[in-house]
Amino acid sequence: MTAAAGPAPGPDPARRRPANPFDFAKAEGNGIQDFIRTFAVAVRLGWQLEANWTDPFLFFIYSVAKPVSSALILVVMLEVIGGDAGRAFRPFVVVGSALWAFVVSGIAGLAQSILEDRERYRTLKYVYVSPSDFLTILIGRGVARLGVGLAGAVITLVVGVIVLGVPFDPATVDWPLLAVVFVLGLGSIIAVGLLMAGIVIQTRQESWQYPEAFAGAIFLVAGAVFPLGVLPAPVQVIGLLTPLTWWIAGVRRALFVDGPGSIGGDGTVFASLSGHLQPSPEEIVLALLATGALATLGAVAVFRISDRRAKQAGLYDRTTGS
Amino acid sequence: MASSIDLVGRSGAGPRQAADWSRRQELMTDLRSVRGRAYPRIVGLMREPSWVLFEILLPFLSTSAFVFVYRAIGAPQAYVGFVVLGGALTAFWLNVIWMMANQLWWEKSQGNLELYFAAPMHFMSILFGMALGGMFMSSTRALVVLVIAGTVFGVRFSVDQWALLISVFVLTLGALYGLGMVLASLFLVWGREAWHLGQMMTEPVYFVSGLNFPVARLGFLGALSVAFIPLATGLDAMRQLVFADAAFPVGTPAPLIEVAILGVMTVVSILGARWMLIAMERRARRDGRLSVRWQ
Repeated sequence: MTAAAGPAPGPDPARRRPANPFDFAKAEGNGIQDFIRTFAVAVRLGWQLEANWTDPFLFFIYSVAKPVSSALILVVMLEVIGGDAGRAFRPFVVVGSALWAFVVSGIAGLAQSILEDRERYRTLKYVYVSPSDFLTILIGRGVARLGVGLAGAVITLVVGVIVLGVPFDPATVDWPLLAVVFVLGLGSIIAVGLLMAGIVIQTRQESWQYPEAFAGAIFLVAGAVFPLGVLPAPVQVIGLLTPLTWWIAGVRRALFVDGPGSIGGDGTVFASLSGHLQPSPEEIVLALLATGALATLGAVAVFRISDRRAKQAGLYDRTTGS
Repeated sequence: MASSIDLVGRSGAGPRQAADWSRRQELMTDLRSVRGRAYPRIVGLMREPSWVLFEILLPFLSTSAFVFVYRAIGAPQAYVGFVVLGGALTAFWLNVIWMMANQLWWEKSQGNLELYFAAPMHFMSILFGMALGGMFMSSTRALVVLVIAGTVFGVRFSVDQWALLISVFVLTLGALYGLGMVLASLFLVWGREAWHLGQMMTEPVYFVSGLNFPVARLGFLGALSVAFIPLATGLDAMRQLVFADAAFPVGTPAPLIEVAILGVMTVVSILGARWMLIAMERRARRDGRLSVRWQ
């Protein structure tokens, strides 16, 4: 029997190398469109997780009770001591504690998203391997919580003006300064939130309280409810290097142009470095820009390192108990 | 055919006899359950080094911020002591809210709750174990805050009645963790609202409990708090005993009366927790909520 002449055995070469084996363009995505869609879905998901567990009225009560109570604690502390110093301080602490409620929401939002998805819903690994950008999802989730925090801060300010007698005149507000520092500060808050997200990727379930504990530590150096001048000089320096200090000072300056500032004053580190008592609006914006850029770069670096280590150590699908 | 079988180390003529435990066996199993549930909380302290930074040092800095508020307005030194004592007691309150009240809800989300119910022990053993472990965890944090803040800010404690102070402390812990057990039972049937309620029970409760100021300054609201919130009662009694030489605003009862209030709170809350646990378990079983997750 002779072998029949013909093509060599095996699959048809044309089948082995199809003309169009894989459309790489499909894996590249649609750039900015994908980003916007991912971000919008993440914000919506974050909002649903935050808000759809109850009716809107109860949700409103829950959202404002915490920041309003924080402000009331400080107001009663001032009243207990009484005197002119206490009364003069009231607008200072009400505005500071309202702004701080917003800061805490921003710092906690991203980290809580990681913890919720990993420990509670156990979906973090699926979210991570989805085609969407992980960082975009995280920031989207954090923005939803920032929205809740902003509502709490605004209500606290309204309560401060109407109930606690904080003098406020919209005509005297420096709106351009408010807009600029608010946008820059928002970036800084998200950066600190990203830093905390990078940290809680590495830690276990008990890290639910870590973001708020971290925010509480910054509370000491940010001049939120007392001027930096009462702190020891080295701690004042740490405060001056923190973008949130400049953000709070900027918002306070924009809302109450002639009100007491939190950064400068007699004998402060700022006064000795700059040669004048209070920072000008331009100095506040520049300092916020510089410290915010540093904080953002640092936070992104920490998050990237943490992300790499989490992948190597299998931390994205690790759940813990206590 | 064997005349007796061995079921989980307990001999008997059959499964029914093996399951018929004596009171001693039940008690020993419950005690082992208490130890087993307290164990991860105590051992966990040594296994998670980041805990020292985030649970002790950072909350200390947060407490310090309120000290500087008083310093900024020139308050008397006794008020700094009030803040330090309040900061120490928040460790217990946060532990009660997040690691007692919310714990069963988390256990349900993690799939452990049905294992607890299936295990041959009284469920109160789990709650007691959580409470003991939590007390140990929080005591370390409270002690560190008291020592560091007391040293750094020069707080002078002036105690005349040590026995009464220790009684107040023990009864405050009993009432706080008893309340935690009640809330844990209540949270058994809840979903995400449990977490939000936990949030609601931090700053608002700090305010009505007079965390950083004498609660008597809140007038009727302060009196209500002393009557119903163990944090407020314990804090006010401890302040009166620890800062015996400080001037206090009138309006709250003497420490001895507050000891009695705390004693009643402790007994009522532990009995209440037992009743609530049975009622909520029955309701959760009826509604099929014991194994519902991620709602």
